Amino acid sequence: MNNILCVNWGNKYGREYVEKLKQQCEENCSVPFNFYCLTDNPTEPYDIPIPTTWDSHENGKFWAYRKLYMFDEDKVNIEGNHFLYLDLDVIVQKDLSYFFKLDMEHPYIVKGWWNDIEVCKKNFAKFKSPMVNSSVMRWDRGQLKKVYNHIKNNLDVIFFTYPTIDNYINHFWYNMYDEENSFMSGFPKGDVYSWYKGNIYPNDMEPRKNREYCKICLFNNSGETNDVEELKTLWST
Amino acid sequence: MEHLKYTPDMARDWKNAIITPEGYLKKRVLDSMNASQLESKLWLVETLIELDIEPKRVALLAGWFAQYIVPLLFDNFRSCEWVENFEIDHDVSPISYKFNKRYKDKNIYKINMRNVMMKPMRMMPNPNLPVKPEDIFDVVINCSCEHMFPMWKFRDMNERYHGKPLYVLQSSNATQHDDHINCVESEDELIEQSRMSTVLYSGSKILSNESTRFMVIGR
Repeated sequence: MNNILCVNWGNKYGREYVEKLKQQCEENCSVPFNFYCLTDNPTEPYDIPIPTTWDSHENGKFWAYRKLYMFDEDKVNIEGNHFLYLDLDVIVQKDLSYFFKLDMEHPYIVKGWWNDIEVCKKNFAKFKSPMVNSSVMRWDRGQLKKVYNHIKNNLDVIFFTYPTIDNYINHFWYNMYDEENSFMSGFPKGDVYSWYKGNIYPNDMEPRKNREYCKICLFNNSGETNDVEELKTLWST
Repeated sequence: MEHLKYTPDMARDWKNAIITPEGYLKKRVLDSMNASQLESKLWLVETLIELDIEPKRVALLAGWFAQYIVPLLFDNFRSCEWVENFEIDHDVSPISYKFNKRYKDKNIYKINMRNVMMKPMRMMPNPNLPVKPEDIFDVVINCSCEHMFPMWKFRDMNERYHGKPLYVLQSSNATQHDDHINCVESEDELIEQSRMSTVLYSGSKILSNESTRFMVIGR
């Protein structure tokens, strides 16, 4: 079975984001799937209570790591073999069945094709400018258990050192220096673009441009506050 | 200690190291060679000499290009026979090996790409077997404590294999840099972070870049 997951924790995003994402998936996925939301406020049949095992490590950086509980499918009690994770602030533009047909030799994460790799390399040891973005991830059951265990075994160091999940994954599970031998693969060029940052460096970088030919649009903004109204406007286009 | 020995061998190696990098790497190499970098390493070696410490096998944690500390150790301590630089930065290895080619060629300097806060310096296939002498470090130098998790973790992971080496630790109060994730405000804080029980030296120094550098030496 195919599973599409999202995570909604705290009050950054209201329930309407989950409902909208679910609606977008239902309208844009031609293969059967189950939709789940890992949340600290389960109210709907598709909600799954998010675990709290790592809560005691909250240090201001931990909050986003909550979404990595899903890397242990047993921990979040979801059956099935194929998993697609989507952030709540994405626009689904094409048939998501594409993601369930990918060759799964490696799990996938968004490679930020809009990044200048020289900047990513320069900032690698500074815990800045990761090449990857965890807004969309695709894996098969068990593929990311190794990552889950690595976090579980190094909670204090990871939550202290890496300010974001993307930085953590960039350091340990994605190899921008040798992508052929990387544990995680990046989605191919043009699959996922960024509303605020562009599509492909250096020639297709215009921000706030609708690229209908891409499958998913992200609203990642390097820590800057996203323009919520802008995203909601795009929901209706 | 006021200087390092600029020998013909060093001149040759440094020239080859400095002409290689381009773009952002060139700037990083220049950053690694500023006055403060040298001041802090001279202070470290001078203090070790004052304490009559004779390093033999040195683990250098996050040593970056290590163009100052490696020659300072080999030139000032006849006892020094091995320096191993544990790094996570992919860009470091080729350039550091160029800076220190004379030591690499003699097989007395090595870079080990390893995150020392996640893995011990040596993986022991069987913890019941004795540690090989060439795997034991008697001195651990970390001039980058502000870049990483507190040093108690490293000690926890390594001391069951390496005993109690001498720790030479430096950190900074310069919080304006994104990668300074663990600055301290005093040498006492650095001692506390490393859970050092025997302190041979602790002090601070204001460097050319106007930041305060703290150093503690002990076990």
